[in-house]
Amino acid sequence: MASLSTTSLSFKAPSTRISQVLRKGSSFQSVAFGRFASSTSKTSLRLQISCAAKAETVQKVSDIVKEQLALTADTPLTAESKFTALGADSLDTVEIVMALEEKFNISVEESDAQNITTIQEAADLIEDLVQKKPAA
Amino acid sequence: MRRSVISQMQRSLSMDFTSLLPLQLPSRMETHLWYIRPDEVKCASLLKHYSQLLSPTEKDRVLQMRGDELKKNALLARTLVRTTIARYQTNNGVDPRSLMFKKNIYGKPEVDWKNYTNCNNPPLHFNISHTDSLNACGVTVHVRVGIDVENKERKIKHDVLAFAERFYSADEVKFLSTIPDPEVQRKEFIKLWTLKEAYVKALGKGFSAAPFNTFTIQSKAGTEGGYNLCKTSKMTVSSLEKTEKCYGEWRFALLELADSHYAAICTEDDQASGGAISIDIYTEESIYSVISSSHLSPSCRCTYEGDCPKNHPVRRR
Repeated sequence: MASLSTTSLSFKAPSTRISQVLRKGSSFQSVAFGRFASSTSKTSLRLQISCAAKAETVQKVSDIVKEQLALTADTPLTAESKFTALGADSLDTVEIVMALEEKFNISVEESDAQNITTIQEAADLIEDLVQKKPAA
Repeated sequence: MRRSVISQMQRSLSMDFTSLLPLQLPSRMETHLWYIRPDEVKCASLLKHYSQLLSPTEKDRVLQMRGDELKKNALLARTLVRTTIARYQTNNGVDPRSLMFKKNIYGKPEVDWKNYTNCNNPPLHFNISHTDSLNACGVTVHVRVGIDVENKERKIKHDVLAFAERFYSADEVKFLSTIPDPEVQRKEFIKLWTLKEAYVKALGKGFSAAPFNTFTIQSKAGTEGGYNLCKTSKMTVSSLEKTEKCYGEWRFALLELADSHYAAICTEDDQASGGAISIDIYTEESIYSVISSSHLSPSCRCTYEGDCPKNHPVRRR
């Protein structure tokens, strides 16, 4: 993962554009990443795995949120769902952050935690923190 | 100094909100706490009527809530705030629809009085808290207020001590870890949570101004239900806060509400009298009564009629 951060392709910014790209379809070989699309190099393989992780992260976050808020299976839930709109109060939000820390083995600063209001934002922050971790 | 929370049970009023019964403002040393239980409001046409009180933005937010229960809860929360504040207006009935709200620079909601020409508008402060089964609104005059309510039976999904170690102060963790019974420990955790939330909300400077692990709230020795705020050395004191004292500047009260919830109230102590100030709270027989907002629910269970005398005590179990 360390090699990725030195390429010109950064996953950190702008995260919203990346989200839009991901939401548009399951194909990760979109224009932005086009140059790596057909490459079978180790780098491109890692890139594709990182892209996949984003959607997977969103799913994991959704699962944690569903569990914390005891949502029924048929509650409409999207990446843009706001925690408060799902009925989360301040204690729920903190429990969600704790569960995310445990699940992804990260540490969330309180100031960062406050800025998480949607599932997508949580996923973006997680990706950011996971990437920042020193390579094993 | 006594913190009092006034209780008033009154019969339902007409649907005409301009004739909402007016309320006397709390005194400088009082906090009024209003609450409503969403499960007590069942009438669909009443809910429809309430929705007409809300601003377009508020209506949008209500609609954004996922599910009918959450929508109803959000609707009642805004209705509670609007009707309650409207009733305190001394100049003959302010229409709750006409109230405007704004946020301070940190995001804390406040009443926006700019449309009112009456210069004698009371410097009214309010703070709201909701859980899925209860919405509450605290009102004070002149001083900042913060409230937080939590269901007493609320289960914490994480280990309580692990949670405390992550977020609370060292002294609070120590206190919690000395409690042998896990159920009591859970309850004390929740009580602390409401007190700490109430403080941060009263402060009104956002959560980063007072991270939970930078201050300790502990029971005041020798008092029944009094609490002290102590700031740990980890807290960075901004140049603005340097002049603020660490002790006795904020007052706390913890109540059991409707037999089902803890409610914490935190207000500024502008009397700065320091010393041994006790807050009289009795957990069994409270001298505080809490206003149940039956003016919002026609099917109220009470038999009390008319205006309640001030400081009307109600025995609470």
